[in-house]
Amino acid sequence: MAFFRGLQDSTFTEWFLGSASIWTYPTVLTLHTIGMAILVGASFVVNLRVLQVAGEIPLQRLAPVYRFIWAGFVINLFSGVVLFVTQAADRVQDPVFYVKLGSIALALWFGVLVKRASIDAADAPQVTPPRSRRLAAAGLGLWTIAIVAGRLMAYLHP
Amino acid sequence: MADFAMWVESTRLSKGLFDITWLWPVCESLHFIGLCMLIGGAGLLDLRLMGLFRGLHIRHVKALMPWAIAGFGINAVTGGLFLIMQPHLYLTSAVWWSKVFFLAIAGLNAAFFETRLAVPALAMHPDADMPRQLKVVGAVSLFSWFAVLYCGRMLPYLGTGN
Repeated sequence: MAFFRGLQDSTFTEWFLGSASIWTYPTVLTLHTIGMAILVGASFVVNLRVLQVAGEIPLQRLAPVYRFIWAGFVINLFSGVVLFVTQAADRVQDPVFYVKLGSIALALWFGVLVKRASIDAADAPQVTPPRSRRLAAAGLGLWTIAIVAGRLMAYLHP
Repeated sequence: MADFAMWVESTRLSKGLFDITWLWPVCESLHFIGLCMLIGGAGLLDLRLMGLFRGLHIRHVKALMPWAIAGFGINAVTGGLFLIMQPHLYLTSAVWWSKVFFLAIAGLNAAFFETRLAVPALAMHPDADMPRQLKVVGAVSLFSWFAVLYCGRMLPYLGTGN
């Protein structure tokens, strides 16, 4: 705990949050939103297609969408670590933060499972099997939970 | 504009909505979900028009548009509620007017695509080279939506004298 307290009270945090420049906190926060738009937007597209929305799109052609998913994830991993450091002691005690991290981890894992089952295999059926649909529906729900949890973290302090 | 903002804020509707404590954070969450639906659906079509995802029929990608439009609808409603609740944050902000400007560009661009280019574009062979006009329309759309996002997120920080 002392470690996280040290991060939150560090000179880095003081500079990062206290600076009048738009290039510190505001820009990292905005990068986190841009990353979210790419990561969750691309995930929505895959999950919707697996649920037979735009069902004429050949599933195998959606493999490159995962590059956007991972690019968005990397942007948000880095920006998220910086934002975490500045609130480290508060966040490690905040259950909503763990809900957010848990739902992101599960949503990404389900996305990988959907890719293996319904996108990577050249002979995967264009009408998706029930297991893929359940994973996709859960993915949509988990991304929604992650977004709501992330937003509520700004309001619910531990 | 400042007087108009003050008048809106003095109405019973504005006060009544702002007094509902949970309404603002719920609208924010919905605004984020809506933007993901919009950028996901519209973004894939934009990238396709720009020449990426060769092999995908534009017609098939366009079937995602109702979801993108639904995302836009969610954001128009929640954005409208923000505007009614706290008009002074937006109406006198150059950053907010920049957001409106990029929204207008995105809208006009989409209207241009729908009225002038959509019929031949939807009939294109999925492996055909993209004409320059479609690439430009796709790039303008993608850029404007991210500019809308940027202005919205930076609104509390940009142009505040820092």
